[in-house]
Formats: sequence, structure tokens, C-alpha cells
Amino acid sequence: MLPLSIKDDEYKPAKFNLLIKLSGWFRSILSDKTSRNLFFFLCLNLSFAFVELLYGIWSNSLGLISDSFHMFFDCTALLAGLAASVISRWRSNDSFSYGYVRAEVLAGFVNGLFLIFTAFFIFSEGVERALEPPDVHHERLLPVSIAGLLVNLVGIFVFQHGGHGHSHGGDDGHGHSHSLFNGSIGHGHSHGGHGHSHGGHGHSHVDKHGHGHDHGHGHGHGGHGHSHEDSHCHDDHSHTPGKGSSKQILQGVFLHIVADTLGSIGVIISALLMQKYDLMIADPICSMLIALLIGVSVVPLLRESIGILMQRTPPTLDHTLPDCYQRVQQLQGVYNLQEPHFWTLCTDVYIGTLKLLVAPDADSRWILSQTHNIFTQAGVRQLYVQIDVAAM
Amino acid sequence: MDDKYSSNVISGGKLGRVEVPNARLTRYIVLLLFTKLFKALGIFESYDLLKVVHIVQFLFILKLGCAIVLLFFQKPFTSGKIVSRRQWIKILKHAVISCIISLLGFFGLTLCGPLRTLLLFEHSDVVVISLLSVLFTNSGGGPSKTRGAAFFIIAVICLLLFDNDDLMAKMAEHPEGHHDSALTHALYTGISFLGVADHKGGVVLLVLALCLKVAFHTHSRKLSVEIGGAKRLYALSNLVSSVVLLPWVIVLSVTTESKVESWSGLILPFAMIVFSVMILDFYVESICTAKLEAPRCARYGSIFLFLSGLLLANFWTHPLTDQLRAMSKPGQQASTEHVLSGGVLVSACFFIMSDSILSSPSKKGQKGTLVGYSPEGIPLYNLMGDALQHSSQSLPRFIKDSLKQILEEYDSRQIFYFLCLNLAFTFVELFYGVWTNSLGLISDGFHMLFDCSALVLGLFAALMTRWKATRIYSYGYGRVEILSGFINGLFLMVIAFFVFVESISRLIDPPNINTVMLAAMSVGGLLVNLVGICAFSHAHSHGTSKSSCSGHEHGHSHHGHAHGEHGHSHGGHGHSHGHGHSQSPGGRGMNANMRGVFLHVLADTLGSVGVIISTVLISQFGWLIADPICSLFIATLIFLSVIPLLKDACEVLLLRIPPEHEKDLNFALEKIQKVEGVLSYRDPHFWRHSANTIAGTIHLQIMSDVVEQRIIQQVTAVLKDAGVNNLTVQVEKEAYFQHMSGLSTGFQEVLAMTQQMESMKYYKDGTCIM
Repeated sequence: MLPLSIKDDEYKPAKFNLLIKLSGWFRSILSDKTSRNLFFFLCLNLSFAFVELLYGIWSNSLGLISDSFHMFFDCTALLAGLAASVISRWRSNDSFSYGYVRAEVLAGFVNGLFLIFTAFFIFSEGVERALEPPDVHHERLLPVSIAGLLVNLVGIFVFQHGGHGHSHGGDDGHGHSHSLFNGSIGHGHSHGGHGHSHGGHGHSHVDKHGHGHDHGHGHGHGGHGHSHEDSHCHDDHSHTPGKGSSKQILQGVFLHIVADTLGSIGVIISALLMQKYDLMIADPICSMLIALLIGVSVVPLLRESIGILMQRTPPTLDHTLPDCYQRVQQLQGVYNLQEPHFWTLCTDVYIGTLKLLVAPDADSRWILSQTHNIFTQAGVRQLYVQIDVAAM
Repeated sequence: MDDKYSSNVISGGKLGRVEVPNARLTRYIVLLLFTKLFKALGIFESYDLLKVVHIVQFLFILKLGCAIVLLFFQKPFTSGKIVSRRQWIKILKHAVISCIISLLGFFGLTLCGPLRTLLLFEHSDVVVISLLSVLFTNSGGGPSKTRGAAFFIIAVICLLLFDNDDLMAKMAEHPEGHHDSALTHALYTGISFLGVADHKGGVVLLVLALCLKVAFHTHSRKLSVEIGGAKRLYALSNLVSSVVLLPWVIVLSVTTESKVESWSGLILPFAMIVFSVMILDFYVESICTAKLEAPRCARYGSIFLFLSGLLLANFWTHPLTDQLRAMSKPGQQASTEHVLSGGVLVSACFFIMSDSILSSPSKKGQKGTLVGYSPEGIPLYNLMGDALQHSSQSLPRFIKDSLKQILEEYDSRQIFYFLCLNLAFTFVELFYGVWTNSLGLISDGFHMLFDCSALVLGLFAALMTRWKATRIYSYGYGRVEILSGFINGLFLMVIAFFVFVESISRLIDPPNINTVMLAAMSVGGLLVNLVGICAFSHAHSHGTSKSSCSGHEHGHSHHGHAHGEHGHSHGGHGHSHGHGHSQSPGGRGMNANMRGVFLHVLADTLGSVGVIISTVLISQFGWLIADPICSLFIATLIFLSVIPLLKDACEVLLLRIPPEHEKDLNFALEKIQKVEGVLSYRDPHFWRHSANTIAGTIHLQIMSDVVEQRIIQQVTAVLKDAGVNNLTVQVEKEAYFQHMSGLSTGFQEVLAMTQQMESMKYYKDGTCIM
């Protein structure tokens, strides 16, 4: 018997070629629509931040400099999303036997946490300012925040459009943020687009649901066919993992951008209020409201991703699993079902393990295949069944 | 009326307790709404009246008016049984107690104003009883009731602490102004002796009166049955209490001169109050309680009452209503109105929420899930999971239990003590800051409080880790500690980033710092944090010190012994592994949660040290630049120290093969390959779930003539030696693929899948971007 194993480590190229690596990264970023969008938006954001920083240093304005650093911090969210969308497409290797698909959940989680931190900081600052309103120089604030708003609006538009092909009005993006990326919450018209838009079909669907959203921004959805219906959102278990159906990344990034947009809007409103009516209290109240909004909107994302990271039983399977257990236990020769573990690997990929105690004379192969059959119908992609024969 | 009533009963009986036709109920709900509106109006009116009329006189007039009206309607003497002598005595007691309670209530009204009185005093019995049962007994009624009780307490606290009423300052200037009876004076001095503001005392008084009222109602229920109906008792009790109050009123009106100019002008308001507060409310409440169920009635009633109270409070002092009232009552001093502050609004919201939660009927069903059928065909329910997990607990008991749990284990005890120390330090700092009115100290105190949140998170995670696995979280909650470590690490990263940014902006423009207070505070903080470092590093010396090489060797040589014949080669690998990854801390003593907490404390200590050094430098040499440089340095240090923690946590969360078991697992897989009868294996997945759980799954293809059970045993033993303690082995014979072809997946797909798996191993390097 000859050893046939291959050691990957020994075959790695000895010379580390930065250029090839960079171009590889670049290509892999551009190959997927999600990461391409993320990358372009990151570039936009970074250039804006650099312009702001340079201008701040040039004009020696501390406010602009700190704002630009804030922008850099925001960029980390995008960077995390981008990195996750690239990483999650890496193949699985010996160490990471499931592949890197979980990176998307992790990215969503990190983004959510960052948002919570941000909201907390804003809130505490708002309280501080409410107790003691400082003098705000609003003459410079307004143009900067308007520019930021424009950049972020582009972001909202791009992600809404690119990710899902649905275009709602840009200004009520926040109200739709759950329904856009989190189809399980209940809006029928939101989900189901993942597989299509990422699977290379591009914009193959059109907002035909009759929700009455107007398409004010001239994006021609015109002649494309519509390929999914409202009831579609539950039966898309069929795309393979690692294809880039990065629900969590997009949700996190989108929430981040929405939060930024809200912040800009708040600053604009409060600046206007301060200029026109001299209401100094408007600024802290606005910021506190925005912080609350951000905090509330992040909670579902965080809850979902924590559930996945803690190997929770998938909420969508909560009700079907007891039925499945019952059916398995009713199979001929099955005594007992032990240690059922079901968990989510990444979006819509469920993995389960269980142990069956069977009679000594039972046909274990038949039981195995029947069990696989039952759980495949419930939507469990990978199943490991250990069959233990009961002692006589 | 009769047939309506009977049809209601029939339909109610048919559909069960809850499902009564809605259209019929709407009538009563609307009736309730109007009654409560009138009641709120009456209480606002009586607040105005109480400014001119003495409280005892006021109460006497109310009781008398109510008694007269009820005498007409109820005819308590002519109808029903004859009341015996002993029952008269009981009625007398009842009347006296009800007088005392209403005196307390109205006194609270004069102190707090009508809105706060409505919010505090007008809770129905159902709500208060369930509140008390949640707080003081074991049989609360689930987490929702506990939530409701928490809301209630928050609302009262809001009213006590966050309700800044300007009026009270004015009242304090003339404390003897209109306290003209001995009773009110005694109460007033009692309250002021306690050192609280006037209306805060009123709040406390009202809460007490509320509890008294509920107890009184519960006890008088028996008496009302004896007398023959609650209405008759009410009428008689009112009559008796007006008789009881009569002598006091006579004495009062003889000794003090009244402030009222004309009693005739007050007839209309009094009539209105008697009608709305005493009579209408009583009748409608009894009708609605009979028609709807009591909890529902209580819920709607209190919500309507609070809302109308808020509405009235908004418009009562409005100029328009002043004009309206000016027609009936000319002499109105409008200076002493209670304002509608934010605290009241918040507490009203909380009261409404808590009432609707507390008055909702508790569900007494078992929430077990059907897990299947026993061999005899009896359905089996699983009560182990959520039903037992969330069983209700009373508050003191809950606190006691969790304290016990915290102190049980080393980690959580350590965190808890340190948290207490930290909190004590913070509060001392805050109080000192408030006392000396130094903004720097206060903000530093809040910063410390913020830091404590990391400790709280760690403590919570350390507790949660020990929860039992439920149906939903089938692997248990062990991951919480990794998540908590991850969150703490991220948190530190963010802090480091902000410190970095701020120090850069200070580098450009160094501000002037007054260093007097800062140094003392940071020395104190340093001491506290040093204690923390000693406590935590004691437990995790190899988690943080970089010399973890020996720890590795030790662990591996141990494995070498266990493996027997593979000892030599294995030991060698262990060495190389230890040297290669000498800086990655590993081993089973490590705990991500504790590492996170430790790093946090370390970062705080570094911060204190930095502040001290920079203070010394600034005060000695006047180098203002020292401060930002120090903070830059510290931020970098924090950043670097967090990275290993984050990396490890990420690896666990990404389901990597545990690095410290990687070699063992590879050997184990080679051994599995050599087990007799095994053709091949595929999809080996091993991942660390928590600090002491490593889960694994593997598919084995075996020859068709081997006993499966024996192979499972062998493979399990091999992998258990490699550290996997939660293993599932799926054994497939060749026939398996034929079975799979019968499934929806199809044979081709399965084949393709296996081929893909195989091929992936080969061209991984070529295309994959690593």
C-alpha cells in the first residue's frame, strides 16, 4: 500500500509574488457582483475621506480632520464586507473543512457590532450635548454633510439595485432595510432575488409586484423578464454554498450605509434648524434619535448572526424538525433517536447530525437512506447519520 | 335587556372564555372609555377644588353626596336582608378604613398633582396583585409578568427621580402656607423629615395608599357577600363614613375660617366630582367587570384613564380651557400648576405597558414539544427545553440563585469581585465628582462605567456558558464565551482606534491639560486595575505569556503516551509544531472570554500608566507633546495585543480544525484509512464548539461484508484519542449509492459530488487565491 496523500504546504510557490497576488485579488473582487459593488463604493468613500482629510489639513480645520477619520472608520465596515465576500469564496482546505463561507456571517456580525458601538457613542455624545449644548459652527458643517449624504445615497442606491434589483425610493431606504435583505422577516417581495442576481443573471427581474414604488432614478428595468414570485422566497434551497449569496454581508453593509445617511440627514436638518430658528437643542435630539434608530435596526441582524455563530437550530426548521424526528422514529426497526444537532453553516445551508439506535435485525442501509430522504425534504443539505445497533 | 343578556351568556359559553363577540363588547369598552375620561376630569377638577377646600371637608362632601345619591338608587334599607349588629360594626370598620385610604389618596393628590395621582393610584387590583405576586412569591407567571413588574418599577423610579417639577421649589418657600390641619401637617413634617422633596413624598405616599387600597378591596369582598352585594355595601359604607367624618368637619369649620367665598359656586363642581369619580365609575366598573373579564376590563380601564389623564394634563392649563373655566369659577389662582415633564411622560408610557402586560391573563399551559411516540404509542413530550428553562422565578430568589451560580466557579467569581471593585471605585469617583462639581471626574467616572460593561459582558458569558443544552441550542451555550471574547476584542479595537485618532489630532494641536486631579485619579485606577491583572493573570498565565512552548510540549507528550506505538513520530511532530507556532497560545486552560476580559483590564492599566507618565513629563518638563505620544503608543499596544485573541476567536467561529489538534487529527485520519474494512472516508469535518467540546463528523465507505458496528467503535475510539468528543460517523456501504439514486438528489449528482470532493483536493493550489 503506497501513501497517496498530498501535502499542500510543500507545493506552495516558494517565491511570494505580490503583483500576481494583487491581481488575483483584484480579479476575484471584480468577478462577483457583490464584491465589485462593495469595492467601487469603498473606493468612492475612501477618496471622499482623503479629499476631506487633505482639505482639512490644508485649511487646518480640526473638525474636518476628525470627520475624515470618522469616514475612515466607516470604511472599515465596507472593508470587512469586501474581505468577507472575497474570503467566503475561498475553497475549503484541510484546516477549514467547511470552507470559508462563515466569513459572511462573521462580517455581518462585526458590522452589526460596529454599528451598535457607533450608536452608543453617538447617543452618549448626544446626551452630553443635550446637557450642555456647545457652539456648533454650522457654516462648514452643511456642505460637508451634504456631500456625505450624496456619497451615501449612491451607496444605498447601488446596493439596493445591485443586490436585488428592487428599487425603492432612496429616501425611505431605512424603512425598507429589513425587507430588502432579510426576507425571512416577512415582506414577501424582498427575498428570492439572491440566487438570481448573484448567479450571473444580472438584472433579470423587474419590480412587478405592484407595490407602487416609483422608479424616479431612471434605471431602465424595462424589457427584462420577471422571474420570481412572492411565494418563491421559501424554496430556494437549491443554490450551492460559496456562490456569494451573502445575505449577512449585504445586510450589514447596507445598514451601515443607511446609518451614515441618516446621520448626514440628521446633521443637515439640525444645521438648518439651528440656522433658521436658532434651536440649539435640535442637534443632540437629532443625534439621539438617529442613534436609537440605528440601534433598533441592527438588532435583528445581530440576533440572527449570533444565532448562526452559536450553532443554533435554524429558526426555519424549528417547526419541521419535530415532525421529521417523529417520522424517523416510526421507521421499521428504529428504536430511538439521539443527539440531534442541526445548525446553519451559512445562509440557507443547514447541516445536521444525529444518531439512531436500531434493532439488531434492522436493515440499516434502508434506514439510512430513508432518514436522508426525510431530512432532505425538510431542507437539510448535509446530514450525518450514525447508526448504532442496540445491544441484544 | 333580558334576552340580550342571555344570548350573550350562551354565545360566551359556547365559544369559551376569551372569544366573546366583539361587537357586543365594543359597547362596554366605549362606555368604559367615557367613564374613565369623566373620572380623569373629576380628579383634575378635585385637584383645583382642594386648593380652596380643606381636604376633610372635601372628602365629607363627596361621601355625603355619594351616599345620598346611592340611597335613592340602591335603597339599602328597604331592600335586601336586615343588617345585623355585628355587620354594622364591620361596616363601620370598613368605612373608617376607606376614609383613611381616600384621605391618603387625596392628600397625595394635593402633593403630586392630578396626573401623577392618576398614574400611581388608579391601578386596578388585578394589576397590583399580579405585580406583588411576581415580586414576592415564587409563582409569578412567566417572564412576561416579570417584564411587566420591571416596567412598573422603572415607571415609579422615573417618577421619583427624573421628574423635575419646578413647582416644588415654589412650594418649599411657604411650607406652612396651606397646611392647616393637624393631619396634613404631621404628614408633611414626616415627609420633609425624610429629606425628600414634597411631591416625591407624595409619590411614596400614593404607592403605599395603592397597596393599602388593594388589600382593603380584597378583604372587603367577603363582607360584601355577607351584606348582600358590593353596591349595597358601598352605599352603606359611604353613609357611615360621612357620619364618621361629620364631627371632625364640624370642629374644623368652627376652629378655622374657610377660604371659600361662596359655597354656592362650588355646588356644580362638587356634583360633577361626586357623579364622575364616585358613582359613575363604580357602576360602570362593576358592569364591565361582569361583562368582560376582570383583567381585560382592568387593562382597558387603566389605559384609557392614563391616556385621558395625559390629554387633560396637556390641556388643563391651556389658555383656552382657562377661559372656559373662568365662566364657572372666577377666582382661580393659576400659579401653582404641576408641569408636564419628560419624566412623567416616560413613566406614563411605562405604566401603560406594565398594566397591559400585568393584566393579561397568564397562560398556564405546558409548552413541551412533541418529540415522538413511545413504542407503546403514547405521545412523548419534551419538557426539558424551553419550558423548564424559562420557568418563572421571583425576583429575590432569582438574584440569590444567580449570585450562587456566579460564586460557584472560579472564573465568574473572579470577574464578579473585580466588577464590584471597579463599580465601587467608579461610584466613589462619580460622587466625588458631583460633590466637587468637577466635570473631568464625572466624565472619567462615566468612562469607567462604560469599561465595566465589558466586565458585565464577560460575567454574563461565564454564566451563560454553563447553561444546559436546549432543543434550540443543541450543542449548548459554550460558544458564548468565544463570542464574548470576540466582542470584547472588537470593542478594544474600536477603543484603540478612537484613542489613536484622538491622539493624532492632539499631536497636531496639543491642548492644555490641568494635571492636578488627573494624576490622583489615574493612580487610583491603576491600583484597581493592578488588582485585576493579578487576579486574572493568575488563572491564565500561559494564555498570555508568550512562552507557551513548554505547555505545548507537555500536552503533546501526553498524547504520545496515549497513542502507544505511534509515540515516536508523534512526539517529533509535537516538537516541530510547538516551535512553529510558539506564539499562538493554545491548550485547554485557555478561555477566550477570560482572555478578553484580561485584555480589557490590561488596556485600562496601560491607559493609567500612560496618563501617569505623561502627567509626570508634563509637570516636570512641560512637554505637552508627551500626552499624545503616550496615547499613540498605548493604542498601538492594545491593538497588537488584541490581534491574537481576535484571530483565535475568528478561527473558532469559522469552524476551523482546532490548530492544537490538527496533527493528531491527521494521524487519526491516516489510522482510520488503515482500519480493516474501510475503503475510504470523505467529508471529515472537525471543529471546536467551545473550550471543551470538539465536534466532528465523517463519512466512511466500507466493504459490504464488514460489521458496521465494530468499525464505528474503532473509528470513534481513534478520534476520541485525537480529542474529538462529539462525533458522528456515517457508515456507507456500496449499496448506499444505489439507495441514494432513489432519492430526489439522484445518483449522478451524488457521484458528481464525490468526484468534486476528490478533485478539489488536487487543484486547490492552482486556482485558489491564498
